[in-house]
Amino acid sequence: MKTEGKIPPVARLKYANGDLIIKEGDFGLSIYEIISGKVGIFVDSSGTEIQVATLGPGMIIGEMSFLAGTSSPRSASARALENCTLEAWHPNMLTTAYKQMPTILRLITGNSLKSLVRVNKMVSGFSLKKRRAEAEQVQDSSDPWSSKRSFYRKELDKECVYRPVNSPKNLKLFGQIKDISRGGLQMVAKTSNSLDYSHVPGDEFFISAQFKEGQKVNMTAKIIKLQKGEKSGTISMGMTFTHMTHEDQKRLGFFLMP
Amino acid sequence: MTINPQVYSIVVSEESFPDKSVIIKEGSGGDWIYVILEGRVKIKKQTSKGMLTIETLTEGDFIGEMELLKQSNVPRFTSAIADGPILVGTLDTEQLKRDWEAQPLRLKKLISSLMQNLEDAIKNFVDLAEASK
Repeated sequence: MKTEGKIPPVARLKYANGDLIIKEGDFGLSIYEIISGKVGIFVDSSGTEIQVATLGPGMIIGEMSFLAGTSSPRSASARALENCTLEAWHPNMLTTAYKQMPTILRLITGNSLKSLVRVNKMVSGFSLKKRRAEAEQVQDSSDPWSSKRSFYRKELDKECVYRPVNSPKNLKLFGQIKDISRGGLQMVAKTSNSLDYSHVPGDEFFISAQFKEGQKVNMTAKIIKLQKGEKSGTISMGMTFTHMTHEDQKRLGFFLMP
Repeated sequence: MTINPQVYSIVVSEESFPDKSVIIKEGSGGDWIYVILEGRVKIKKQTSKGMLTIETLTEGDFIGEMELLKQSNVPRFTSAIADGPILVGTLDTEQLKRDWEAQPLRLKKLISSLMQNLEDAIKNFVDLAEASK
């Protein structure tokens, strides 16, 4: 991207896949233009991180806080979905220009900002409702005795094999299941896994693990929340089950018995 | 909501419409921007399940600004329909366009990005509404 205009860009920054660029709720006014790579925009809705947009080169992030002013926290998080180069604009260089803009243009911009905040809220509320309904559907199809413990989460550290649903059958990615319940699981995997295969909220995977010797459980689940793992170079995925055979549900149900 | 006095300085005409009048039709051309002086206006989008209300705007809110601050000559992205009798002011579009063009490049980029995000968010919302039962 050319650097035309009176004021030079402040800094070029590089982010690795999975890096957090902006954190929802933080106070920051910097604006970023994406030079290369893809950035995901996430909003937190009652503890679930929901991806609301994917942005690419030439697009701007962080403009909402800038336009809303200093007292307003970041309304969404931005996370690198691949290795990215961004140009960070110091807010000061635009504050004066924005203040000098004709009042009417500022009012119009404010009008759209207000609409965007409102629509984004509706979108995240809607997605959350949809995902909850899908998670409940999986629970409904279970046998009655195990559904009683549907909220019991068993903590563990179990290796599993997984692959995206539309990938070749011989593909094997490795992950560690950190906890599991009747509705879903938490898995930690190497960030490098997500370089070759998309790992974003909404992506669906076949997962296979042995909870008991010689007894494999196959699950299909999709990512609803994606975070950086505790260890560097890892990602942590909150997943909800989208499909499981009756047999596998039973096996998991037995495993989850306290 | 009160109307900023500066807004009146670029209102070129005032017009009243009865309930359910279509002020802006989705897909049509035109680059007029309106400000609501009295009453309420619903912003709607056509979906596979009929018209979906995106939001309801009131006095002081603008209608049709998305297209101006993105790029000219794009078809209207949403419809604006009177919710009860309304009075709207038509703004001096030429003046607004000149003012807009005179802004620094980065500031224009930033605001255009906001308009694009709003459009994408509405698309997202429509997709979710269409997918739900």
